[in-house]
Amino acid sequence: MTKTIRWICEKCDKKWIHPIEKCLYCRGEIKKQVGTRLKVVGYTKVYTPCPPHPIIPYNVLILEDEYGNKMPKKTIKDYNLGDAYEDKPDASENSVAVVKIKYDFYEAVKGALELIGGIEADSNTRVLIKPNISFPGYSYMGICTNPNVISGLIQYLLGNRVKKENITIAEQSFFVPLEKTIAKSGINKVIKSFGVKFVDISKAEFEEKKEGEFAFEVSKIVNDFDLIFNVPVIKTDMLLGIDGAFENLTRFLSKKSFDELAKDPKKAVAALTLLPKVLPNFITLGDASIGMQGNGPAEYGEPGFFNLIFAARNPVVHDKIIQEVFCLRKLPYVELAGKLGIGEHDISKINVIGNELDALRRDIKQPIGSKLIKNP
Amino acid sequence: MFVKGVGMTKFGISDKFSHQLAYDACLEALDCADMSFNKIDAIVCSTLEWFFSIEKQRHFAGMLSSMFRTNKPIIRVPAGCAGGGHALWVANQLGYDNVLVVGVEKLMTCKSESITDEFMMAMESKWEQPEGVTAPSSAAIVAREYLNRFPDTTMDDLALIAYKNHSNGFFNPKARFYNKKVTLEDIKKSKIAASPLRVMDCSISVDGAAAAVLTKDKSDVKIIGSSLCTDRLAPFESRDLTTWEATSVSAKEAFTQAKLTPSDIDFVEIHDAFTIVELMSYEDIGFAKKGEGVKLIRDGVVNIDGRMPVNTSGGLKSKGHPPSATGLSQICEIVEQMRGEAGDRQISNTNFALAHNVGGVGGTVTCHILKKV
Repeated sequence: MTKTIRWICEKCDKKWIHPIEKCLYCRGEIKKQVGTRLKVVGYTKVYTPCPPHPIIPYNVLILEDEYGNKMPKKTIKDYNLGDAYEDKPDASENSVAVVKIKYDFYEAVKGALELIGGIEADSNTRVLIKPNISFPGYSYMGICTNPNVISGLIQYLLGNRVKKENITIAEQSFFVPLEKTIAKSGINKVIKSFGVKFVDISKAEFEEKKEGEFAFEVSKIVNDFDLIFNVPVIKTDMLLGIDGAFENLTRFLSKKSFDELAKDPKKAVAALTLLPKVLPNFITLGDASIGMQGNGPAEYGEPGFFNLIFAARNPVVHDKIIQEVFCLRKLPYVELAGKLGIGEHDISKINVIGNELDALRRDIKQPIGSKLIKNP
Repeated sequence: MFVKGVGMTKFGISDKFSHQLAYDACLEALDCADMSFNKIDAIVCSTLEWFFSIEKQRHFAGMLSSMFRTNKPIIRVPAGCAGGGHALWVANQLGYDNVLVVGVEKLMTCKSESITDEFMMAMESKWEQPEGVTAPSSAAIVAREYLNRFPDTTMDDLALIAYKNHSNGFFNPKARFYNKKVTLEDIKKSKIAASPLRVMDCSISVDGAAAAVLTKDKSDVKIIGSSLCTDRLAPFESRDLTTWEATSVSAKEAFTQAKLTPSDIDFVEIHDAFTIVELMSYEDIGFAKKGEGVKLIRDGVVNIDGRMPVNTSGGLKSKGHPPSATGLSQICEIVEQMRGEAGDRQISNTNFALAHNVGGVGGTVTCHILKKV
């Protein structure tokens, strides 16, 4: 959801476009002002490309809200002075929200989820959050889901009457002790500060589920919740192309199941496409605040400061749009999942909301591998 | 302080690295001041250390120490495109007897897309950069606002500003466009960069260095006003896009120090990164009322043979714009004019001059007023 944000001193009324905690002048408390009724008060059409903005021409609009606060907004569509600017939410399976983070993760997460129709929740709603914290890595490395995104999501849930006792974060690591990854990623601080629960999936029970030619051992905890949020950090990946919505689901499987699938990369791709079928419905909240580009986590990829949040009700459209935004090569599992009817992979049938696709597209470093780096 | 010597390299595309360009400009400034480096107490330098440059060289102050074979204090003060003016302001505050000031940029090692990207880093990182706000697009939004509010001013008037500066730069041997004829037609027919601004409304990126030797000893050019002001990085935060507050505050402060008014100024070097910036600066500095800057260009007041020539050097438009060197190259032009050494572009009234240097979209502004002693 496109919105202006200002941080205002309650005492002296000074305004900031950056989040601060106390006024430098009078030490007054700070309140947040969010503007959503936007109209176009300035614009230019830009014909000079640069790497983050390769598609020209594009427009830069100056939008003004109901409080007189302004912000720039990039569009491909033309607008006139005085036009209203609004994003139209779309709760369908074929929509993907893409929101730029303006310092405030809560507002970004809220905006993304509202664009896909929001959630239905009350004080009895049980929520499972599945981040990607399978490898130990500080949040700035783009290896783990950014704890600020998880904080933003929990704030959003609490604001929708969900009780903290009913919120659970769950993850497992197939490679290292989970305590290490939780600590290094900073997720443990989020768990403590909000008082939500944490479950190590590997220690919970699994049940066998069959889909196509595959038999999966799936964690039983997925059955205990009314709402599931799949919150991957968006990383390039040598095998899959990206670690997105699908890859993050693999850690709902037992290690035995995972190892079995990992033996044969071709089979792994085929099995991956079927994973959503053995799980209850979930919303994917793609954390591309700090993601990864290049060869990804296993082969010295590097952090990518994408500053984006993606949200979708279907994992296929989610990963397809990530592929398109970052101009990555075709993702075989997305193509296959699309053909199997798990979700829409035809770009012309996917509704990108919050920002126009062509206004987002940019090249990032592709996962192409290295002749020098040899993995065991 | 007094300006005893100035020096600058040819602005354009150079094979030399930043430290070599800086060295050349400093050597010329020291020669001009007839001074040995031994007498220099401190050096103030400015450079942006471009991310995309092939130089891959950080710690420029250390690099200059290597070039100058010295342990003297070297202070680096990057300030976007206002680096040169900023360095001059700092040098003037330090209290040393003799200070060498140098600004340098080496950016013609990258494609123009990368240069645009690099300049974009002077825009706000979360609100502006992801929304495609580049230097030209930011100036274009300002231009549209200005033209809407003051409909008497047209794009043809902005073309006249570009034409004036190219006409002046034609005679400046150190300008990128030296001896290169640019017609009004060329300017008006150039492609749109960011509507309504055309490519020829934008300054040109170049390599280059400029330096000045400041002394407490009396010389023939004195700095009688020196001010540095800042403003919010993102112009969308401003109440009025058509006024850059840092320019008006900085100019007012410089005039107060100099005990002068705008009408006392004989000639000016204005930061014409974009033609609209030169036009707005006429008003913000105080040479014209709001909305009436256009009269200065239409009436020829700011032409080289006018009452108050602006950008006799060719400005950033024709001389070229190596960001951190630009502010000091303005001082080079003023000193040459005051000493009667400006050759074919020499003007007659050169008692008082003002140099106006801007970083970002009005985020940092310096104004210096110089007097011929």
